[in-house]
Amino acid sequence: MKHRSSRILAAGVLLAGVVAAADPASAQIKKETPNMPKVGDTAPDFTLKYFDGSDLKEVKLSDYRGKKNVVLAFYIFAFTGG
Amino acid sequence: MQAFQQQLKTLEAADTRVLGVSMDSAFANKAFADQIGVTFPLLSDWGGKVTREYGIYLDQYQAARRVNFLIGKDGKIMEEQVDRDAIDPTKIVDACQRPKLKN
Repeated sequence: MKHRSSRILAAGVLLAGVVAAADPASAQIKKETPNMPKVGDTAPDFTLKYFDGSDLKEVKLSDYRGKKNVVLAFYIFAFTGG
Repeated sequence: MQAFQQQLKTLEAADTRVLGVSMDSAFANKAFADQIGVTFPLLSDWGGKVTREYGIYLDQYQAARRVNFLIGKDGKIMEEQVDRDAIDPTKIVDACQRPKLKN
């Protein structure tokens, strides 16, 4: 019985070592964003809100279909330049 | 954002709606818009769902890349500008003014 529990302990220590070794690999920075839609693709529809100063208002992309072109300007955070 | 603001009249004259999108709250975006003098809506993608659907979520910043999309009236993407290129919207303004878009 004593022998068995020490074996489990050893296996646990080994497993912890494997997990620790794998961690730096998962922390690698992913620069590529291969899921970005391409020119010619249909833009994914969405409904998002904005605050106009008094109310939260909704904007649905497909509401502009057949009426207007839409520029979507994604930016990193508010209070940054550009 | 200010670059689009400067071109807003030109863009609107070309039947184009400008929408900013970030993962900030709607209220932070409004404060930002007021501070920099932007009059078009800055949409809040709180949680990043839309940012992920457009494939531009950055793990290392937990935020979006700077990307501009021009979407035509048919709902299809006509132009894209990514990262540094996205700061100058001239290409998108030019694309909006192409006569074929005005039908």
